Amino acid sequence: MSARELILGKIEPLAEVKHPGAFQGASGEFDFRASLAVVGARVVTPSELEEIFPGRRRYDKTLDGLSLAEVEVLEIDGEFGVAENGAIWLTEESLPHRVAPFICQHLVINVKKIVPHMHAAYEELGKVKSSFGLFLSGPSKTADIEQSLVIGAHGARSLTVVIHA
Amino acid sequence: MLSHAEASENFIADAARTDWHDETLWLVREKRDKVSKVLPEWEALREHASQIKDHTLANLGEYLQAFEAKAQANGITVHWAADAAEHNAIVHEIIAAQGSKILVKSKSMLTEECHLNDYLVSKGIEVIDTDLGERIVQFRNEAPSHIVLPAIHLKKEDVGETFHQFLGTPKGNKDPQFLTEAARQHLRGHFLASEVAITGVNFAIAETGEFVVCTNEGNADMGAHLAKVHIACMGIEKIIPKRADLAVFLRLLARSATGQLITTYSSHFHQPREGQEMHIVLIDNGRTRQLADPKYKNSLKCIRCAACFNTCPVYRRSGGHSYHQPVAGPIGSILAPNIDKKANVDLPFASTLCGSCSNVCPVKINIHEQLWFWRQDLMAAGLAPAAKSIGMKLMAFVLSNPAIYRLGGSLIRRFSGVLNTRLNPWYKQREMPVAPKESFQEWYKKR
Repeated sequence: MSARELILGKIEPLAEVKHPGAFQGASGEFDFRASLAVVGARVVTPSELEEIFPGRRRYDKTLDGLSLAEVEVLEIDGEFGVAENGAIWLTEESLPHRVAPFICQHLVINVKKIVPHMHAAYEELGKVKSSFGLFLSGPSKTADIEQSLVIGAHGARSLTVVIHA
Repeated sequence: MLSHAEASENFIADAARTDWHDETLWLVREKRDKVSKVLPEWEALREHASQIKDHTLANLGEYLQAFEAKAQANGITVHWAADAAEHNAIVHEIIAAQGSKILVKSKSMLTEECHLNDYLVSKGIEVIDTDLGERIVQFRNEAPSHIVLPAIHLKKEDVGETFHQFLGTPKGNKDPQFLTEAARQHLRGHFLASEVAITGVNFAIAETGEFVVCTNEGNADMGAHLAKVHIACMGIEKIIPKRADLAVFLRLLARSATGQLITTYSSHFHQPREGQEMHIVLIDNGRTRQLADPKYKNSLKCIRCAACFNTCPVYRRSGGHSYHQPVAGPIGSILAPNIDKKANVDLPFASTLCGSCSNVCPVKINIHEQLWFWRQDLMAAGLAPAAKSIGMKLMAFVLSNPAIYRLGGSLIRRFSGVLNTRLNPWYKQREMPVAPKESFQEWYKKR
């Protein structure tokens, strides 16, 4: 017998428990900017961005995985931001490569739309299917050495967000 | 192998380090309290998550098959493994087909459970753990001591010494920023060169056939997106029904684990990258046995946040290695006996049964009750150490014989010195109270 049949054969149906359905009663009072500050991202205006990163690379389909490693500052567009936790939804379709937001040294994301919380976020992206997508909240970080927070583990060392809303 | 109590004795020999470990994990618990209490709906979220998991476990077979069909339609190859040996063989076969001799692996407690690294090394394949904490303990030839904070048992001096030895950082440099940068440079080379990447899975969605991997460092993504072959390993209990359910779990996971609002990266793998091979290995390894036992079924709801570790007074003051299992702490102590009762007979006793674990659990597992169930089952199976079963029988005998109880009491009052010896485990690190001259009964009779 294959492992598949063996495993499925061992699973006895249990007494039915209903799926509780969509979560109701999420509070809506969240501030996207405040959450971004908590997760270590900085918010700037378009003109401030010009001053900070004049030589940045804007999303470019010609970049492949390895040459992206040489990109110092990459600017991409996010689908929407989530106010409760500062996360920004990115999809493969809006990225030069899946690894792009991780491999560049500094990341800039434009955000045009903000939803209050994760329930609203999944409602928003329920309509679209992406081959790959992620919620990105702040720059790469670790606290694996004595719980000391260090920004810039393996992914981007900084996240700069430009809100166009 | 040392029992939990014996290993803990070694751990607490360094009192200053024990205090540090205790206080540091308590700080993580406090961060969890802070971010969870900001949400008025926190308790409702826990209840919701618990119900989703109950519903999933009640229909696990259907959801696994639905997930399999969707994932295959998405272009992902799905494998099934009954136990650790099958799991390891499947993973090795995929790597061998690629002809790789080295690979990168992000954190996966499942692969620790299966001892995948040792197996692959025995087949001549080098495994590079890419989570910073896991890389540190891998260099030191140790196991992770915590499922979220693998190197929490180490001080920065230890990490500095290890990196000096393996990465050539200057001797004596113990700056976390500097050491993390050294690891970043070292691992970036491996990410760029690796053809195979192994990751764990936090959630697999039956509705869409996608799986979600959460990290703060970005190591899972760096590995998976650059490799030609991505292998994701998951226990069959990681399934959830719908994509919208992720909202509930992602709100709970990081807040419970580290007091963050969400992990930095929550990546949704739906289809392989163009030209990439993507595999999922679904493993049982005792989970169906657990599912069939109403007493322990609930432990399959675990989302591996480790909130129960951070709050546990025994874990905080005995360290993860004392549990001699890949998953330590309260949840590990109820998972481990399911796989091997005899080897893990000590673990359900490594608890005060205070119930704090159950109170912080984001999916409302009755952890402390299951610890208590295991104690009864293990005693009934005759697996408890002789000293414990003889002691319990002796106590039952004394307590059920009033004359012997009174005689014993008066003897101990007269010769209370016998309690103040190392033969009495309770005496270790405690001062015994001074015994009164007479019992209440003796005093009452004189009146």
